[in-house]
Amino acid sequence: MTDRLDLPQGTLDLLILKALSLGPQHGWAISERLHLVSRATLQIPQGSLYPALHRLERQGWIRAEWGASDNNRRAKYYELTRAGQKQLEAETAAWDKLTTAVALVLKMA
Amino acid sequence: MFTDLRFRLRALFRRDAMEQELDDELRFHIERETDKYVREGLSRAEAERRARVAFGGVDRIKDDTRDSRGISMFDTLSQDLRYAWRGLRSKPGFTTAVVLTLGLGIGANTAMFGIVDRLLFRPPAYLIAPDRVHRVYVAYMWEGAERTERTLEYTRFVDLTRWTTSFDRTAAAAYRSLPVGTGEDAREMPVATISGSFFDFFEARPVLGRFFTPEEDHVPRGSAVVVLGYGLWQSRYGGRADVLGKSLYVGNAIHTVIGVAPIGFVGITDESAPAAFIPITSFAGSRNTWYFQNYNWSWLEMFARRKAGVSVEAANADLSVAFRRSWEAQRAQDRLPTATEVRAHALADPVQLSRGPEAGPDSRIVTWVMGVAVIVLLVACANVANLLLTRAVNRRREIALRLALGVTRRRLVQQLLTESMLLAILGGVAGLATAQWGGNALRALFLRAEDARAVLTDFRTIAFAGAVTLTVSLLTGLAPALHALRGDVAESLKAGAREGTYRRSRIRTGLLLFQGAFSVLLLIGAGLFVRSLSNVRSLRLGYDVEPIVYVEGQKRGMSFSRTEANALAERLVEVAAATPGIESATLTISVPFWSNEGRGAPFVPGVDSLRKLGRFMLQAGSPAYFRTVGTRLVRGREFTEADRDGSAPVVVISESMAKAIWPTKDAIGQVMRIGSDTNPFMTIIGIAEDIRGRQIAGEREFWYYLPIAQYIARFGEADLNVFARANGRAEDYVEVLRRRLQAEMPGVSYVKASPLNAFVAPRQRSWQFGATMFVAFGGLALVLAAIGLYSVIAYAVAQRTHELGVRIALGASLGDVVRMIAGQGLTFAVAGIAIGSIIALWAGQFIEPLLFDQKAKDPLVFVSVAVLLFVVAMIATLRPALRATRVDPTVALRSD
Repeated sequence: MTDRLDLPQGTLDLLILKALSLGPQHGWAISERLHLVSRATLQIPQGSLYPALHRLERQGWIRAEWGASDNNRRAKYYELTRAGQKQLEAETAAWDKLTTAVALVLKMA
Repeated sequence: MFTDLRFRLRALFRRDAMEQELDDELRFHIERETDKYVREGLSRAEAERRARVAFGGVDRIKDDTRDSRGISMFDTLSQDLRYAWRGLRSKPGFTTAVVLTLGLGIGANTAMFGIVDRLLFRPPAYLIAPDRVHRVYVAYMWEGAERTERTLEYTRFVDLTRWTTSFDRTAAAAYRSLPVGTGEDAREMPVATISGSFFDFFEARPVLGRFFTPEEDHVPRGSAVVVLGYGLWQSRYGGRADVLGKSLYVGNAIHTVIGVAPIGFVGITDESAPAAFIPITSFAGSRNTWYFQNYNWSWLEMFARRKAGVSVEAANADLSVAFRRSWEAQRAQDRLPTATEVRAHALADPVQLSRGPEAGPDSRIVTWVMGVAVIVLLVACANVANLLLTRAVNRRREIALRLALGVTRRRLVQQLLTESMLLAILGGVAGLATAQWGGNALRALFLRAEDARAVLTDFRTIAFAGAVTLTVSLLTGLAPALHALRGDVAESLKAGAREGTYRRSRIRTGLLLFQGAFSVLLLIGAGLFVRSLSNVRSLRLGYDVEPIVYVEGQKRGMSFSRTEANALAERLVEVAAATPGIESATLTISVPFWSNEGRGAPFVPGVDSLRKLGRFMLQAGSPAYFRTVGTRLVRGREFTEADRDGSAPVVVISESMAKAIWPTKDAIGQVMRIGSDTNPFMTIIGIAEDIRGRQIAGEREFWYYLPIAQYIARFGEADLNVFARANGRAEDYVEVLRRRLQAEMPGVSYVKASPLNAFVAPRQRSWQFGATMFVAFGGLALVLAAIGLYSVIAYAVAQRTHELGVRIALGASLGDVVRMIAGQGLTFAVAGIAIGSIIALWAGQFIEPLLFDQKAKDPLVFVSVAVLLFVVAMIATLRPALRATRVDPTVALRSD
């Protein structure tokens, strides 16, 4: 378990937005996608996704719709709004800037 | 922002649907996860278990999700409210005590606010731009002192209007008591005589017909038209529409009804609502014809609306220039010093008299009582804070437990404040009810009837009550909340239900002392006012008040010959005296506290300048005079039928007057003369007890009495004024006398009748009012303080049950226990009494001018209040102390 990381504060929102930028998804699929893409490195308790999703919906960055899932069950699908797209770009830029800066400092000889 | 709001609202109103959706969503997730594990080969049960573990605590996540939906604000509030409500319902005694306490406190303040607001702040109904409408006052130096006047001349009104540029409207108004109707129907009623421009100040529309216009208000005599007040229209005409065009006798002339004013329209006045409105020139023109040319008849008030953008200072300067110019114009008529010499200036002040330079004593008293009401509210708050605090301490363990379980302190404080707010709101409702039903008496004392409207329909009063309620909830919630914040979780949990030792709370002690001290202060105030009222009441005025009816005949513009007038006066006395239930009647020329006749200082041979002794007042009456009014003769004789025109001139003088003029000699048999040098000397035949007819307090008054017949012979004719002595209360005979004497009056002349008390009572009103209010509020504060003391001591006993058990087990006698518990309560009481008395000694200097013949440092009052408070404290302490003696050591020690 030593190779799994707790998520830094505030980054979950960014990851959700990123996951949704590839197309509408329901909660479980988002959780799976994050799990797979991070190669199981990121430790995200599945339940913690939902407060984040509802918060993002309230902020207007994503919107939700009930639809039929692949195995024909009713599921709640989330998709990125235009404002969410912008937010994703801004947060990605900020993240890049931060990691670059932190990396630079850490590499300081 | 919008999505956010929509989301929250949806969350709020469609909570069930949202909950369902959340359930569905989470269940879907767990099912998919379970499916995944099943596909990996696990049993269904095991798969589901792993899915749930991976997901985390469903309930917590639901909570978090709900929170993140942003409805927590409403949710937690309703949760807190329900929690608080349950808590309050489970302790009905506590809740009732708090709600009643706050209700009384808030109610007293709400009722007082209604009055203060009306007297000092609220603009007249319908007035347009009230902050720009002013009452005009003029000021000048006269006989060494500055005089400020609001009663102006018509000419002045015209001058100040035409020579100023700061105002877009000016108006003149004179509120008079005028006879309305004729014969048996004639009644004196308040009538507003106003200029045609006056209606423009208001956005009132007539409910019927029209208002009169500036064209109908013209010199020398305006049109005889009348606009009825709403009240008169209802009472006299039953609200009928065909009233327009009818004739109505108002004042000295017949007027045609042209309209009806809307309900609540009074113009600008602090007095009774006018029954009718007539042009001011119609009123003045019926009295004399020179009023619009002369500068020496002041009888009206002037109102002006400042133009938007003109400052009050600029308006005052503008008015002053106009007033000086007008003063110079007056000098062409009257011999006066120049405007500069008298420093003439004029002021545009607020329309409310209580806020102007001539504010009466009422506003001062009202302000005092408002202050007292605020103190009562503070005492009530202290009390409730104390009760809540006691509860919070009792709930220490519960609170500590909740903190340990992870409830944030913020949430906890929120909950405590919710509870105090709920209590305050219940108190506020009780307060409105108190103000509505209990405040009627209060309003009747200060406001005219139409203003004493219901509290519950008055927005400003409701708003005030709301603000007070909010303040109260913060004041009372603060202490328990602070207490909750300070608590140490581990400590409290370890301590168990009991605390090893009883801890005194500094806040609680402080609150208790505060209550005690202020109760003492209010009670001392109450004592002083009661003593002062009894001084006023027991004061012998020198005549009886209760049984005397005063009847005044008015000629209403009719002319009588001197013989006719005197014969009519005699007939009125005869008819009055012959009325069943009336013992005797007399003519009179002076009426105490109403209109007194003075004819300058008498001349006494050998005594220089009586003038410097003081003012001398003249009364004249029929032979039955002294018998009728009840003034006792100290020595000598009263008038008889024999003292008539032609017989030897006689006079009765008051005791003080006799002593002042003849300090060493017997005054009887001495002579004096009044008026011109050619008048005959009058022989003093009797000495009457002193009376008070001008002022209820202050210097002794000098009065002398003439037989009416000799008065008439010297000064012409008598007024048609009659005093009648009833065998019972005057109020019961007013109407019968009015009817019988009215029948004697020829033409449009009429009589009005009133009990003498109507003139005397207002003089005692401020003392009466002060006494009533202080006693009511002081009693209230005492009850509150007693409840506070009781609850704190009872709480202490409950806290110390364990300790007391130990003491009793170790052999403490019951006496010891009572002494210990009661001693603590009585220490509070003594400290409160001491602090309150010290404040009262200091504050006395401010209240003394409001008292009648009563020193503020009255030992009797101070001692009685101290004893009273001590006794009440003892009673409040004794019950819990006795309960302490019943502590069963075995039970106390085994518990917890």
